[in-house]
Amino acid sequence: MDVFANLTIGFGVALTAQNLLYCFTGVFLGTLVGVLPGIGPVTTVAMLLPISFTLPPVSAMIMLAGIYYGAQYGGSTTAILVNIPGEASSVVTTIDGHQMARQGRAGPALGIAAIGSFFAGCVATLLICVAAPPLAAIALNFGPAEYFSLMVCGLIAAVVLARGSVVKAIGMVVLGLLLGLVGNDINSGVRRFTFGARGLADGIEFVALSMAIYGIAEVAYNLEKKAGQADVMSRIGRVWPAWADIRHCIPSILRGTALGTLLGVLPGGGALLAAFGAYTLEKKVARHPRTFGHGDIRGVAAPESANNAGAQTSFIPMLTLGIPSNPTMAMMIGAMMIHGISPGPRVMTDRPELFWGIIASMWIGNLMLVVLNLPLVGMWVKLLRIPYRLLFPAIIGFCCIGAFAVNGNASDVLVMAFFAIFGYLCLKLDCEPAPLILGFVLGPLMEENLRRTLLISRGDPMVFVEEPISLGFLIVSALLLVVVAAPAIRRKREEALQE
Amino acid sequence: MTSFRFSDALLWSALLIPFAAPQALAQAYPNKPIRLVLPYAPGGATDFIGRTLAQHLGDTIGQTVIAENRTGSGGIPGTDYVARAAPDGYTIVMMDPAIAINPTLLPSLPFDTFKDLQVVSRVNSAPLVLVASPTLPVKTYDEFVAYAKANPGKLNFSSAGIGTSPHLASELFIQRAGISAVHVPYRGIGQSYTDMMSGKISFAFSSFAGALPFTADNRVRPLAVSSLKRGAIYADVPTVDEAGMKGFEVDLWYVILAPAAVPADTVGKLNAALVKALALPEVKAAFAKIGAEPVSSTPQAGTAFLKSEYEKWRKVILDANLQQK
Repeated sequence: MDVFANLTIGFGVALTAQNLLYCFTGVFLGTLVGVLPGIGPVTTVAMLLPISFTLPPVSAMIMLAGIYYGAQYGGSTTAILVNIPGEASSVVTTIDGHQMARQGRAGPALGIAAIGSFFAGCVATLLICVAAPPLAAIALNFGPAEYFSLMVCGLIAAVVLARGSVVKAIGMVVLGLLLGLVGNDINSGVRRFTFGARGLADGIEFVALSMAIYGIAEVAYNLEKKAGQADVMSRIGRVWPAWADIRHCIPSILRGTALGTLLGVLPGGGALLAAFGAYTLEKKVARHPRTFGHGDIRGVAAPESANNAGAQTSFIPMLTLGIPSNPTMAMMIGAMMIHGISPGPRVMTDRPELFWGIIASMWIGNLMLVVLNLPLVGMWVKLLRIPYRLLFPAIIGFCCIGAFAVNGNASDVLVMAFFAIFGYLCLKLDCEPAPLILGFVLGPLMEENLRRTLLISRGDPMVFVEEPISLGFLIVSALLLVVVAAPAIRRKREEALQE
Repeated sequence: MTSFRFSDALLWSALLIPFAAPQALAQAYPNKPIRLVLPYAPGGATDFIGRTLAQHLGDTIGQTVIAENRTGSGGIPGTDYVARAAPDGYTIVMMDPAIAINPTLLPSLPFDTFKDLQVVSRVNSAPLVLVASPTLPVKTYDEFVAYAKANPGKLNFSSAGIGTSPHLASELFIQRAGISAVHVPYRGIGQSYTDMMSGKISFAFSSFAGALPFTADNRVRPLAVSSLKRGAIYADVPTVDEAGMKGFEVDLWYVILAPAAVPADTVGKLNAALVKALALPEVKAAFAKIGAEPVSSTPQAGTAFLKSEYEKWRKVILDANLQQK
């Protein structure tokens, strides 16, 4: 197998002192920006881009890649500890992760997130070595019709994943879809649902919306409770998860990794869908799904494995096809171009030291992240000892800075304030925000791809069932719907029979 | 996903420092950092060109030039911000052809491009390249035009959204070639390449930087470039002009604009420093990496250029009936 020969080249490049240093710098910065609410990997990569031009291309790419997957590790930390998802893909982690933290199990939650991410990272890296070219071919077969059907599948999964009432979940998904449509329509250029407000012309800012609903609304909700809550929060629990916990999580980590690896390959939101999908899958296969949403460790292990696997495999379309799967990848392509490298199938053959060096560095980087993160878990958890009267104003302050900093637009802070009130009402009404967020993110993509498909097919909707991949997703969606509906139908019938 | 931009928050605090200090009014311009507003998101061509320019302009003008992203659709929020800024020459903006397109395309703008702003200098010239799907039975520009004429309404072209330069370049091309094709907007031409490889999209006008990875190994075919003369990149590809469509020229240019009320001597100083910066070999080398070439101009020539671009796109937009209600 020349996989090993290739890996030897890769490790030869990645293990030089200089590249190890840049790899460490990358993952360290990535963890840091992942942990701090208010900075994300896109910003950090953008800021470091000019510096990277002075480095050799391989070192530069190793460092930038480290920032990206390092942030995936760090992002889960804030999600678990303070219930603020740093990235869209850690939204699901808040559901069970933060519950665990409240039950005094923040340590194991952070520990299992790191272990799951490490395992997923290793598997995904290995997979890139073996299967990058064939997987790239799959991504190439994804046209607008396939994307549309995938989004449909994702949204139905969002309904399945919600805890509590299905009707409320559907309501939240639809509301999310509608909120996602605010702003300029890319097909006609018409401004929709902006009520003449210029601040809304570009739509509702995702960062403002998610911080409002997850950050500020949560703070408000917690303030209602008595001070007793703070005592529970300050109980830390052991850092390293118990062996029983790990064993309990092994199947979840495996499933999360598999799903993340596959969905990460798709250009466009793969890692996000992977995290949501993995969580849904866990809930479906679990014998006692009721523990999910109340601090089930598997609800942390699966999505964390999935989003890290997805983060790694999203390098496949970028490195092999030159197609970015998210804004950070787009920036990495920009960085490669400026170094005089054209991303595409030829990178692998023309610049093997670059291609395999980056891949080998990912494995090393993942190892560094575990070494870096597990001892730090104890430190992060100490954050929970900060009294609420100090932590809450700090969260709100960070949220305001973050919302403003995205576009330098004060109106985004107002949008955030509005949705904070809305999010608080949702919590009071027991409506889960996760489906809303997923609808918000996927809705515009779904609409774009639907209209694109129909433009290309000249208005013929049959393409959705004529394309095999698209048909497959639609069938899975239909099955999921049946799964959701079945218990409800059965219950109704039982009720009817009792009368 | 969009991510938070803490850098801007840092930048803001850095900016507040000079304002807090007592103003040294007696000193000549520039006596404090100049802000160059970049109205598009970091990571793209505007950002790269803008940041390169900011760095070297800082050297030639003898003051720090801070590049600041103020993003929003069509670059409108960023441009509007500068149009309303104090006319002291410390706030300037770099804009792309949208500044000449938007007045015709959109029903209303918060500012008047020609009354509220003035051109300080041009920045660059960057042609587009006409690329076609490899699934089409065409290898050259002539074959492509003949195929398009023989198959009216069958072709699709992608764009980076309605009213963007790649969209209007295709509209202009369609109008002049007398062909018909369906417009399929994407969020960026880059997104449409997979669909172009599989044949769902037939052709597009793309930036050189975006097209190079795909034309390098023939995953899409370069047919013609949109400048009047061939450049160093795509030297073996004909221009649309020499292939038969006389005078066809589409350029992804940038201009530096300042508020209209900035005094002429301040504009003159800025212009001189810009001209000097754009003549530096480092700037030329950096621009060349994304297929652009530095071009400077006097404020008057820049204004005349902007007017001619405005007239050109106004005709295309009205002929294709693209203006928004």
